[in-house]
Order: sequence, then structure tokens, then C-alpha cells
Amino acid sequence: MKILVCVKQVPHKDARLEISSDETWIQDESIKFEINAYDTYALEEALRIKDAGEAEVVILSIGPDRAIQALRTALGMGADRAILVWDDALAGTDSLGIAKALAAVAKAEQPDLILTGLMADDTNYSLTPPMLAELTQLPHVTAVVKETQQNGDIVAERELEGGALEVVKLPRPCLLSIQTGMNDVRYASLKGIMQAKKKPLETKSLADLGLQASDVAPKVTLEKIFLPPRGKGAEIVEGSIDEIATQVVTKIKELGLL
Amino acid sequence: MARTLIVAEIQNGALREATLELVALARKLGGELVSLVIGSEVSGQAETLAKQGGGKVLLADSPKLANYNSDGWADAIQRAVSAEAPDLVLISNTPSGWDVAPKVAAALDAGIITDVFDIENEGDELAFTRRLFNGKFNGRFRITGSPRIATIQPGATAAYEGSDGGSVEPLEIDSAPPRSEFLEIRMAEAGGHDLSKAEIIVSGGRGLAKPENFDAVLKPLVDALGAQMGASRPVVDAGWLPHEYQVGSSGQLVQPKLYVAVGISGAIQHLVGMKSSNYILAINKDPDAPIFEIADLGVVQDLFEFVPKLAAKVKSAKGG
Ligand SMILES: Cc1cc2nc3c(=O)[nH]c(=O)nc-3n(C[C@H](O)[C@H](O)[C@H](O)COP(=O)(O)OP(=O)(O)OC[C@H]3O[C@@H](n4cnc5c(N)ncnc54)[C@H](O)[C@@H]3O)c2cc1C
Ligand SMILES: Nc1ncnc2c1ncn2[C@@H]1O[C@H](COP(=O)(O)O)[C@@H](O)[C@H]1O
Repeated sequence: MKILVCVKQVPHKDARLEISSDETWIQDESIKFEINAYDTYALEEALRIKDAGEAEVVILSIGPDRAIQALRTALGMGADRAILVWDDALAGTDSLGIAKALAAVAKAEQPDLILTGLMADDTNYSLTPPMLAELTQLPHVTAVVKETQQNGDIVAERELEGGALEVVKLPRPCLLSIQTGMNDVRYASLKGIMQAKKKPLETKSLADLGLQASDVAPKVTLEKIFLPPRGKGAEIVEGSIDEIATQVVTKIKELGLL
Repeated sequence: MARTLIVAEIQNGALREATLELVALARKLGGELVSLVIGSEVSGQAETLAKQGGGKVLLADSPKLANYNSDGWADAIQRAVSAEAPDLVLISNTPSGWDVAPKVAAALDAGIITDVFDIENEGDELAFTRRLFNGKFNGRFRITGSPRIATIQPGATAAYEGSDGGSVEPLEIDSAPPRSEFLEIRMAEAGGHDLSKAEIIVSGGRGLAKPENFDAVLKPLVDALGAQMGASRPVVDAGWLPHEYQVGSSGQLVQPKLYVAVGISGAIQHLVGMKSSNYILAINKDPDAPIFEIADLGVVQDLFEFVPKLAAKVKSAKGG
């Protein structure tokens, strides 16, 4: 069985984010990056399927050179090989462009299962997985919190609202987008990281995928990124820590709760 | 907007409030409105929508659509699009909406933006606004080509309350069964930690950094206030606290007299669960954290320094 895991490298959760000078993205030259949290759960699930039987786990990412770091981490956790796709034409593309490039690799790899995150933690789009499923003609289900293999089928539980879970059965091959909390994500061991250095890591351009820049021309553009208007906003308590705590206590008293 | 198609959603047998929000948004943008109702034996709901401002209502009614499945829903939406040639398609950003909308966009090779909370009509151009980075920033987007597809954040627009005489027309759909098979809907185990009646809730987020800190740093404040403890999702995902502590769209919906958010950024899915609290105090070291947008009182401090101080003061205020 071959499992393709789509991984996006995103700004580290604790990175200080500032808007770029052209106001169309964030300043991302000097910040730390990490694997999108949702994708770590997808990768862990793939590794568990591998641990339970036989599977090849292939990591696929679209991103600039820095994304190699994310791929090495994934290989260190136990994935077998990695593919990085980049091309200048992908810099300004939209989710459909990303999905088209991912689909080109998926068609060549013919995996039995594609796992992705539910959403990227930077853009929060939640677009790529169903697009990739459509472009590869695979059935899909999003926001999966549990998955079991049953004689070539997959029984998946997807999270709905208010604690409801929907249980669906899908034939393989199929695509699941994974919600956080599905499993306990392992860390890359020192031994794993050493071994990862010898694992195959391929880089591909659009042309290698049989695509042209025009195939990934964006239909969606982010015109401007800005701080949300504060609206009414909170009254920020100023002063020394001690003064602030005193004022907060006064407020709680006014509410009649002390 | 020349013509907008909205995709209705039925929940527990009735039209979702979010559907009437789509009606209001489509009407605000102007132009012609067509609605699509998908389900099994849902002609009553289609009639209701026609009377509640949905315009011409297309009805995709089939036993195979009794439960949500992406194949059936995508087929119905694509057929409605090819029959009506809308310039704009609006779908609610709900579990079924976010599952099907991107699939339809890929099939139609159309531009799509998700979880939009505002659309402005600037002549023939539409500007779509949504959150980015879990609410830290907003982004304004444009789409070229037609149709433009957007999923809309539930609750972002007031529901349409007018009434109008629309009409209902059947929509022919593909009879092929969906590739995925619906088995059941079940409820996650509830657990005994009911936050719905708490007067005061003190919730900890990822800012607490380590599981030990819930006992060492948060619990003294919880105890001093006689509060109940809550948490954001990453805390529960990491197994630091059981699921029954989670507040938010996929946790509990709470409405205490006082909600204290400690080290929680204020992502929309958390806000949905606690924004109707009577009074909200947010403690976060990042002055730009979105939680401050909805909080009444904000403390921009390192929680590890501030929370123990606050706990001590509350304790002495109670003692004195
Ligand atoms: C379908 C779906 C459903 C979801 N359901 C829920 C849900 O029910 N509930 C929920 O909470 N989330 C939910 N989420 C996740 C949500 O999108 C956010 O990821 C989550 O709410 C973030 O949690 P957080 O604020 O604790 O962490 P973060 O966003 O990482 O924020 C941590 C905060 O702590 C602050 N901080 C760090 N260190 C300190 C310090 N020393 N002192 C003071 N402040 C500090 C930081 O400034 C930051 O603002 C859902 C997501 C999806 C896609
Ligand atoms: N550049 C990318 N490279 C690889 N996978 C991606 C990329 N962008 C998105 N994905 C996958 O799609 C999921 C959802 O991302 P998004 O649709 O951008 O919110 C992510 O969790 C990844 O699994």
C-alpha cells in the first residue's frame, strides 16, 4: 500500500508575524517555519498504518527551498521518501493551482490513500484537499478524527458540529483530510534524523510535472492583508502588574462575582 | 451582481439559520437570486425558502441525498450552475459546505474563497473579506472568471427576515450512487464536566505551554474565583485535558457571567463557543491577539507573571 501525505510548511506558531511592506502577505524572510500542525496528524496516521502492516509513506510538498526542512523532519519521523515541487510560477498561484500541481504528482504516484491536513494554519483556507480529490477523481472526506482499514475500504469518522460525528465508508483509493487531535504525533528521533539524510528527496519543477505556468495562473488574488479593525475592542488595563491585578479584581467585584 | 445562486442547508429537518444569512447577503449584493435545496423529501423546506426570500428555488430531491455526501451534493450544485449560469455561488461554511464547495470549484475550474465574512459590491467587482492566520489578520480578495464561489461564515450576516413569493422547480440529478457510503451519525461521549451552567469559567490555551501549568498556574486562579476550568482545542488535542473541557465550535458552547481566556488567541472556532458570555477578560502577551476584539477587559501581560498575581489578589479580596 502506498500513502501520499501532503505537507505544507507554514510559519511557526510562535513566530512574530508582521505585515509585509507591500501589504499583500507577511514578512517571512527571518521567521521560523514548521510543518502545518494539521499535517503532522496526517503524517502520524500514515506512519501508524505503516507500523501496523506494510506501507510506503511518500511526503509531497509544494514550496520554496526552505520547505526541504519540513520534508527532512517528516522523513526523520519515519516517512520513506519525499517530493518537493517548486517553480517561480507557483509563488503567486491560488489553491486550485496548488491542487493541480499536487494532482499531477498524485497521478504519477498512484497512491492507495492520500492524507492531507484539514486546513493550513497560515491561510486557513481548507480548500486544497477536496480540490485534489476532484482533480484525481477520488472520493474524499474532510475533518477526519478516526480512520480504520477494513478489507480494502476505509471507515472514517468526520467531525461535525456540537460533538456529532459522521461515520462513512469509502473505497480505496481515496483522500482523507485530517482534523487535529486524531492521534499522538511522534517526534523525529535522533536515529530517525540520521537515517533521514539517506532517504530519497526529489525536487521537481512544473515542467517535470507536465504543467505550464498558465495552468496554475491564479483566479483568486489576495489584494491586501491588514490588522482587523478593533471595533469596540477590549478596554486594556494599563499600569504595573500589581496595579493591573488590582483593577481586574475591582472589575470582578463590580460584576458581583467576588 | 447579475445573478447569485445560494445553496441551502437543512439541519434537523429545518432550514439552517445560515441559509437565511446567505439570502440576506445575496439580496444585499443585488441582482437575481436562485436557491438550491438538496435532500430527500424536502419539498416543504423548499417551499419555505421560496416564501422566505429565496427567489426561484431549485429542488434536488432524491433518496440518495437523504444524508450529506460530496458526490451527490457536488453533482446537484454543478447542475444548478449549468442551468442558471450564476455569477456568484454562495455556500455556508459548515461541515458539508467546506467539504463540497472546493470540489465544485475544481470541477468548474472556478475561483473560490472560503469562510468569507463580508462581500462588498464595487460596481461589477466584488471584494471578499476573510480572516487569515487564525484571526490575527484580515485579507481582502478578488476572484476573476465566473462563477465566483464563496463559502460564508455562519453568523457573519443577519438572517433575512422578509417574506416573498418565490417558486419551486425540480432539478434533475445524476442517479449514480455516491462513492462514499453513509453509515451513521453518532454523538461523542459527553463526559461529566458540564460547563454550560458555570457562573465563571477560566480557560487556558496553548499559551500555557505545558500540561503541568494547568495545575500550577491556572488552577489557583480557578479555585480562587470558584470557577470551572475550560480549554481551547490544542490543549485537548495534546491530551493535556479531556475533550469535555473544550470550549468552541467543536466543544461546548458556554455563556457564563465571567469568561477568562488565558493564553488563548481567539480563533473564530473558539470565539463561537464563548462570545455570548456576559463579561470576557482576556490575558495574552500579544496586544494584537484577536481575542481582544471581543473581550470587555484586556490584560497584555505574560500570563506566567500575571495569573499568579491575580489569583493571590482574588484570594485576599475574598478573605478580606
Ligand atoms: C473545524 C474546526 C473546529 C475547531 N474547533 C475548535 C474549538 O471547539 N475550540 C477551540 O478552541 N479551537 C477550535 N479549533 C481550532 C482553532 O482554529 C485554533 O487553532 C485554536 O482555538 C487555537 O487555540 P489557542 O488560542 O489556545 O492557541 P494559539 O492560537 O496558538 O494561541 C496561543 C496564544 O497564547 C498567547 N501566549 C503564548 N504565551 C503566552 C504567555 N506566556 N503569556 C500570555 N499569552 C501567551 C499567544 O500570544 C497566543 O495568542 C477548531 C478548528 C477547526 C478547523
Ligand atoms: N503547498 C502545499 N504543499 C503540500 N500540501 C499542501 C500545500 N498547501 C496545502 N496543502 C495540503 O492541503 C491541506 C489544506 O490546506 P489549505 O487548503 O491551504 O487550507 C494542508 O493541510 C496540506 O495537507
